[in-house]
Amino acid sequence: MNAIVIEAAGRSKIRQRLSELNLLLIVLLAMIASAGIMALYSVADGSWTPYAMLHGMRFTFALAVLITIGIMPLKFWLSVAYPGYAATLFLLLLVPIIGDTNMGAQRWLSLGGFQLQPSELMKVALILALARYYHGLEFKRVSTILGLIPPLAMIGAPVGLVFLQPDLGTAILLGLSGFSVVLLAGLSWRLVVLGMIAGVGAVIGAVQTGLLKSYQIDRITAFLDPDADPLGANYHPNQSKIAIGSGGIDGKGYMEGTQSQLDFLPEMHTDFIFTIIGEEFGLYGAVVLLLLYLGVFFTTLQIAMSAKSHFGRLLSFGIALTFVSYVLINTGMVMGLAPVVGVPLPLVSHGGTVMLSMMGGFGLVMSTWIHRNQDTLRTSGFGA
Amino acid sequence: MRVEPFDTSRHMAFTRRATIMSGGTLALFGGVVFRLYDLQVRRHEDFRALADDNQFNQRLIVPLRGNIYDRYGAVVATNEQDFRVLVIPERTKDLKETLLTLSTIMPLTEREIVSVMDKARRQRSFIPIVVADNLDWETFAAVNFHSTDLSGIVSEVGTARSYDPDAGAAFVVGYMGAATSDDISRVNREAPSTEDAEKTELLYRQPGFKIGKAGLERKFDASLQGEAGSIRVQVNAHGRVIDSYPDTSVAPVQGEPLGLTIDKELQARALQILAADYGEYPEGTQEPHPVSASAVVLDVVTGDVLVMASTPAFDPNVFSRGIEASYWRELNQSPLKPLLNKPVAGTYPPGSTFKLLTAIAAQEAGIPPSTRFNCNGSFPFGGRVATCWKKEGHGPLDMEGAIKHSCDVYFWNLATQVDIDHIADVGRRFALGETFDLGIGAEAEGTVPSRAWKRAYYRNDPPNQTWFPGETLSVAIGQGAVTATPMQLAVMTARIATHKVVRPRLVRAIGKELIPEPVFAELDGERNHMAPIRQGMNAVVNEWGTAARSTLLPDFQMAGKTGTSQVVGLKRDPETGRRLRNEELPWKLRDHALFVSFAPYDNPRYACCVVVEHGGSGSRAAGPRARDIMRSVLEKDPGDGIRHDLWSGGTAQRMARLGGTR
Repeated sequence: MNAIVIEAAGRSKIRQRLSELNLLLIVLLAMIASAGIMALYSVADGSWTPYAMLHGMRFTFALAVLITIGIMPLKFWLSVAYPGYAATLFLLLLVPIIGDTNMGAQRWLSLGGFQLQPSELMKVALILALARYYHGLEFKRVSTILGLIPPLAMIGAPVGLVFLQPDLGTAILLGLSGFSVVLLAGLSWRLVVLGMIAGVGAVIGAVQTGLLKSYQIDRITAFLDPDADPLGANYHPNQSKIAIGSGGIDGKGYMEGTQSQLDFLPEMHTDFIFTIIGEEFGLYGAVVLLLLYLGVFFTTLQIAMSAKSHFGRLLSFGIALTFVSYVLINTGMVMGLAPVVGVPLPLVSHGGTVMLSMMGGFGLVMSTWIHRNQDTLRTSGFGA
Repeated sequence: MRVEPFDTSRHMAFTRRATIMSGGTLALFGGVVFRLYDLQVRRHEDFRALADDNQFNQRLIVPLRGNIYDRYGAVVATNEQDFRVLVIPERTKDLKETLLTLSTIMPLTEREIVSVMDKARRQRSFIPIVVADNLDWETFAAVNFHSTDLSGIVSEVGTARSYDPDAGAAFVVGYMGAATSDDISRVNREAPSTEDAEKTELLYRQPGFKIGKAGLERKFDASLQGEAGSIRVQVNAHGRVIDSYPDTSVAPVQGEPLGLTIDKELQARALQILAADYGEYPEGTQEPHPVSASAVVLDVVTGDVLVMASTPAFDPNVFSRGIEASYWRELNQSPLKPLLNKPVAGTYPPGSTFKLLTAIAAQEAGIPPSTRFNCNGSFPFGGRVATCWKKEGHGPLDMEGAIKHSCDVYFWNLATQVDIDHIADVGRRFALGETFDLGIGAEAEGTVPSRAWKRAYYRNDPPNQTWFPGETLSVAIGQGAVTATPMQLAVMTARIATHKVVRPRLVRAIGKELIPEPVFAELDGERNHMAPIRQGMNAVVNEWGTAARSTLLPDFQMAGKTGTSQVVGLKRDPETGRRLRNEELPWKLRDHALFVSFAPYDNPRYACCVVVEHGGSGSRAAGPRARDIMRSVLEKDPGDGIRHDLWSGGTAQRMARLGGTR
């Protein structure tokens, strides 16, 4: 174990690292969060409460977390990858036992006054653990069966637990981001195709064996037939399509969105927040937001490319892929391109844990950036 | 085993994979942007329309109902301020609690609270429900005063239909009521388009909205109702109004006024006269009784119904506001039948008034009016002997004298020479069995007996009923199966007075348009057959005939005919066999009293029929009432410049403006 003690870093070291922060990434993230604050202010009918103010405060806190994580050495994160994964998996196991049930699904843990969604933390923990694993794995063993079993187990365990909560969206996201790290690690294409077939087979199997809840099946069939059940499963996607479509090229103007301001879309502040941007700011606003997300993605890509350690590369780009997966699934969902699976728009949707996990993830990216030149992270293989 | 931290092969692999996945990500973002373009540019118009459908709504503004005026423009029915209290369930903390608190401020019964709660369950919670209306100012002010403490309670000034209580026009104008689901489905069936149907249905469902339920209010509901206005409002997903746009609103159009032929003043006077005590039962009356009577006055030239009075009557205001069950029971169970529109729906044996028609039939059958028959008080027929109302007999009489004295024997003699089908034909020509489409519904046809009628009436029980000559005798004096309504008898009199096909009407103006006065065609038959009838009727009143006490001489010359029709057969004292007088009988068994008349005799303008149910005798109960009604009518006659003050001063202009004619 090459654990590096934080206290060892002197003040000057901290100051130096702070000066090396990737400001572009922070600015881009802050702009996205500001878009979220604006949208939430509008959702609350021009009020800072209950969403916008809290969102801003959460972002500020999450930014502090990002910077804190970022200035810590990458080696430290390497060393805590497995323990962190184990602890998060333990929290996930706790959810069905002591978790809170909210809107029919058990996803929350109450931890001394605030609520935590372990499945969100798991997204970062999983990428961290997988990056740690592949960091210590010889390239030639990536596509061997023995080399594949540990990462599949690492992905399978949390995906299964989250799926049973039930939280289909997060389960899919977890699977996707985990799989993308495996892909990045250089899994042979033959196995990639096999994995995809297995994934599709798993989904069909889940539907067939009744593992999916009836509302989940409703949402998927509603997605396949958008005209059916307009007041039931299709109400949300239909109304959000109306909202976005009626926004037009330049939008209806800030706080002027009729669909969103008149309660045609309930729960606007969470998963369907993109509709208010599309309605009030039009095509221009929506594209600008998407460009911001792409900006974050490519900044992270650049960071990943610049890192010398395999751990840092996999970690950063894994985070980036998770981040855009959120964006793509969420925007696809509100525009009728994907079934409604309950995926928030990162940094814009109102929600503390997602914000924290995403910003924590970018903290790791930041750490990769600051320590991009540390190429000699001496580690041994799995379990070492 | 150690892994080289800087392994070129895996770095290369990562770079390739990262590049591919970035490209994939970029492509997916392109897909999202294309979808945005698809929704926001290509299909923008469709979605814009859908969003507008979502958020904008047309809300109705209830129109004011058209007023109803009498022939001189006096208001019979109008809209009055209506102080009402509504509750919006959504805004209350607890609906029941709020209503209970409200009941400490204003009178509110348990049942009313329950019915409001019921309604609240059945509709969306932001739709106001009328808790109480027609409040007096004090109650309204009290609720207003407290309404700030009672969230969800709204006090409002609306309009409600109000009828002039003095007009006594309940049976003419009818009354209003809330639209039932039957009314709504009828509207949906009859509407020319679904859009119209939806609009009307929406209007009918407005809180407090009422439609015409009876009488002319019902018949002319469409024109009285007016055009609902609309206002564009913005609503949220729950249908609650967020904002309204008055600049795009369409103002409601008040309904068209309706001009009646009724003279409100005369109508009120007639009702007074009908209800007044005319001492028809001077002494030893077994059972005094309030009057149940009706009167009709027609303008024989235009057919205008000046008076259509029925007493006792009910207050249409009570009906329109929602009637109490106890009051309804009382009205329904009264032997005086206050709910019956007696002038058109009450059918009575016409009694001796029918003799006028028998006399016409006889002339048409070739019996000249100068033909004399002797009356010795009895008339043997078919092995039985019928007695004239005057037992000692009238002596020899011609047709005019027979009418004057209402001699039964004379008309029995005619009946032996005239066929019943011919009498029925004359009866129908003179309005019996006829309805006039007055627009108030409930017009009874009455019965004009004939051979065909009898066959149809008895059908198979017993089969093949033939007409017996003895029955003709009954019909000839207005007894037996023959019945008629006061309106029919008034029209009969008008036709006798003019020998024209007079048809009554109740409406002389719809909106600003006066309906042109009808020109009546000549009646079938010989005009000169009327002369002996009219002379006889003159003699009845003015030459010491049966209604001598009803003369209006020297002021006016009115001609008339009494009628006293039996409700049951002759009533005799079971011990002595003496024929009982009316006043010795229970009210229900007494004869109906009838009187038909027209005036002025030399140039007929008005016809009048008065029927006093169980009034005893036509000459005592009906004649004097008709006389007083006719005097009022003649005194107000616009042609009578001397006695009538309507033509003096500014009133003439007012009359001209309103188009009032005689």
